Amino acid sequence: MKFVLICWLALCLPWALQGKEYHASLFGVKSDGITLNSRSIQKAVDFIQEKGGGTLVFSVGRYLTGSIRLKSNVMIELREGAVLVGASSPYDYISVGGVRALIVAEGEQNVGVFGKGVIDGQGKGLVASLTTQIQKGYLPEAISQASPALVAMKGCKSVTVTGLHLQDAAGSALSFTDCSQVALTDLWIKNQAVPNMRGLVQSNCVDLVATRVMNDLVASGKKP
Amino acid sequence: MKNTLIVLFSVIFGFSLTAKDFTVSDFGAKNDGFTINTSTIQKAIDFVHEQGGGRLIFETGSYVTGSIYLKSNVTLHLEQGATILGSTNPFDYIKDAKIGWMSMIFAVNQENIGITGKGTINGRGFLTAYNMVNYIHRGIYTDPLKYDRPNETNRPQNIYFRECKNIRIVDITLRDPGSWNQTYDQCQNLYVDHIYVDSKSYWNNDGIDIVDCDGVVIKNSYFDAADDVICFKSHSAEHMCQNVVVDNCVGRSSANGLKFGTVSRGGFKNFKITNLTIFDTFRSAITLAAVDGGEIENIVIDGVRSINTGNVIYLRLGDRWAKGKKPYMKNVTISNVYAEVPLTKPDAGYNYEGPVEDLPRNISPASIVGLVENKIQGVHLKNIQIVYPGEGNPLYAKRGLSAEELDGVPEMRDAYPEFSQFKELPAWAFYVRHAEGVSFENVTFTAKKKDYRPSVVLDDVKDVSFTGLVVHEPESVGKQQVFSHKTSQLIIK
Repeated sequence: MKFVLICWLALCLPWALQGKEYHASLFGVKSDGITLNSRSIQKAVDFIQEKGGGTLVFSVGRYLTGSIRLKSNVMIELREGAVLVGASSPYDYISVGGVRALIVAEGEQNVGVFGKGVIDGQGKGLVASLTTQIQKGYLPEAISQASPALVAMKGCKSVTVTGLHLQDAAGSALSFTDCSQVALTDLWIKNQAVPNMRGLVQSNCVDLVATRVMNDLVASGKKP
Repeated sequence: MKNTLIVLFSVIFGFSLTAKDFTVSDFGAKNDGFTINTSTIQKAIDFVHEQGGGRLIFETGSYVTGSIYLKSNVTLHLEQGATILGSTNPFDYIKDAKIGWMSMIFAVNQENIGITGKGTINGRGFLTAYNMVNYIHRGIYTDPLKYDRPNETNRPQNIYFRECKNIRIVDITLRDPGSWNQTYDQCQNLYVDHIYVDSKSYWNNDGIDIVDCDGVVIKNSYFDAADDVICFKSHSAEHMCQNVVVDNCVGRSSANGLKFGTVSRGGFKNFKITNLTIFDTFRSAITLAAVDGGEIENIVIDGVRSINTGNVIYLRLGDRWAKGKKPYMKNVTISNVYAEVPLTKPDAGYNYEGPVEDLPRNISPASIVGLVENKIQGVHLKNIQIVYPGEGNPLYAKRGLSAEELDGVPEMRDAYPEFSQFKELPAWAFYVRHAEGVSFENVTFTAKKKDYRPSVVLDDVKDVSFTGLVVHEPESVGKQQVFSHKTSQLIIK
C-alpha cells in the first residue's frame, strides 16, 4: 500500500461565524445508519438559512443521506463519532458544475463543514450500483462522470472544510470550481474505495488554501 | 322521466397493448420496506417515459417512497404482494406548487397513465401526520393546527392527478393516506375498476375524490373511509364534474357515502349511479349539495341499499361561497332504494368515528332543502323503502307543526351542509322545504316504534305528488302522516 502524503502549511483563515446551533434531531434526522435522511437534512439547511444562518450539528451516529444542497451562512458540524454516510443509489445524488456529490453548493457564501466526524462515501457499493445502471443503459454517463464526490462546490465564496475524516468517495473527495476564499484545514482524506480517485480537485479557484491535509489514496493496479 | 344522459368514454388505450415492461428493482429500488426509494423510482418513471412508455413493474416486496411524479404513457403495475409504502417523514413529500397539496404519487398534465395490479399503496398516513404535528409544535413547519391537526394540504394523499387525460386505476388496494386519499382534479377519461380502499387512518381520509372531471367510470369497487366515500367536488367555477358512471360499488364511511360537494363551485351534470351499497355510515348514504354556486342537473341514482346508515338522502342548496353565482338543482331521480336507519351510532367502533354533533335531536329524516328564492326543481323518488327506528321523544327535542315552529326551522343558508344541521326536524321520514316538482311513487316509510312527529312534512313546496305512499307506525291509527305548510298543488293518490 502506498501512501501519498501531501501537506501544505499555510495561513489559517479565521473560521466563519457559526451562529446559532441546531441539533439534527430537531428536524427528525435519524442516526440509525439506515434511514435515508436527505429530505430532512435539506429541510434543516433551508430552515436554518431562513432563520438567518447557523450550524446544523450532528452528534455521534451514522446519518445516511443522498445529496444535500448547502446554503449561504449554513455550516454543518460533524462532531466526534458522527458519520455522514452516502446513499448507495446513484439516483440519490445531484450535481453542481457537472460533478455529483454528497454535499453540494453553488453560488453560496459562508458555507462549510467542520468537526471531528467523518464523511463516508461508501464508494465501493455506490460504484457497483453505478456500474450496473450504466451497463443496463439506464444511466447515460461514463462512470468517471457519474461517480459522486463527497463535497463539490461551484462559484462559492468563503468556504471552510475543517477537521474531518473524509473517506471512500466514489469520485474525488473534494471538488471546487470557480470558488474563492476556500480554507481546507486539518483533513484526513482516505479515499481508497476506488483506485485513482483524488483527494482534492480544484479548477479556477482563487485564494484556496489547504493546511495540514493528508491524502491517503490508491493508485491503479495496486492492491490496497 | 327522460334521461338525457350522454356518457362518452374511451377506456381502451392503445398504448397498453404495445407497451414494454420495466422492473423497478432493476433500477436499484429496494423492496426491504425501509430504504427510501424516491429518487430511484422517479428515475425509473422518467426512463420509461423517455423510452416511449410502458409498465413499471413492482414485484413482491415493500418499496418505501416519498413524492414521485407519474409521466405520460407510464403505468405503475403493482404485482400481488407488492406494496408501495409512503415514507413516514413529511419532508419526503412535495407540496406541489400548482396543486397546493402534498401527495405520494402526483401527475400533472400527463396522459395515458395508470396504476394497476393487485398490489397495495399504503400511505402510512397516521404516522406521517403525527410526525408533522411534532414539527409544527417545534416550529419547524408552519401550520395553524386548526382542530389540533395539520391542514389537509399539509399531509400527503396517496394519489393526486391534475389535468391528466386517460387514466386507469385498476385492481389496486389503497390504504392509510395522511389526508384525502386519491384525487383526480380537472382530468378527462378516468377509469376506476375493481379497487379496494381502506382509508381511515387519520382525519379527512376519503375514499375517492373526483374534482371537476369529465368522463368518469367507477365500478366494482369497495371503499371504507373515515370521511366521504365517493366524493365529487367542483373547486373551479369554470369547470364541473360531468358524464359520470358509478356502478356496483360498496362504501362505509364516518361521513357520507355518495357525496356531491362540499366545495361545489361549478357543478355536477349527467350522472348515472347504479347498484350502490352503503353500510355502517355515520351521515347520509347520498348527499347532493350545491352550496357554492354549483349547478346540479340530470342525476340518476338507481338501486341503493343503505344499511345501518344515519341518513338516506340529503339534497341541499346553500349559499356559502357562491359570490353571487346562483346554484340550482334540477332533474334528480332516485329509485329502487332500501334503507335502514338505526337508533344507535352507525359507525361506532370504526377508526376516526364521526363527531357527535347537532344535539339535541331525534333521528333525522331524509330531506330535500332548497333556498327560499331558489328552489330545488324536479326530484323524482320511486320505489323507496325506508325503515326508521321511530321513538322520537318530544321531551328530548321537539319541533312541532305550528306555523311558527315550522318557520322557525333555521335556514342555515351559509352553513356547511349536513343532514343534521337543522337539529330537530318536524318529520321522522322525509322533510321537504323550498322545492318544486317533487314526486314520490311507490314509497314505504316504516317506523319500528311510535314517533311524536308525522312521517312527512312539506314546507314551501309547489307541485308535489304521492302515488302509493304507505306508512307503517305502531299505535298511530288515524294519525296524519303527511303534513303540509305553505304548499300548493299537493296530490296524494
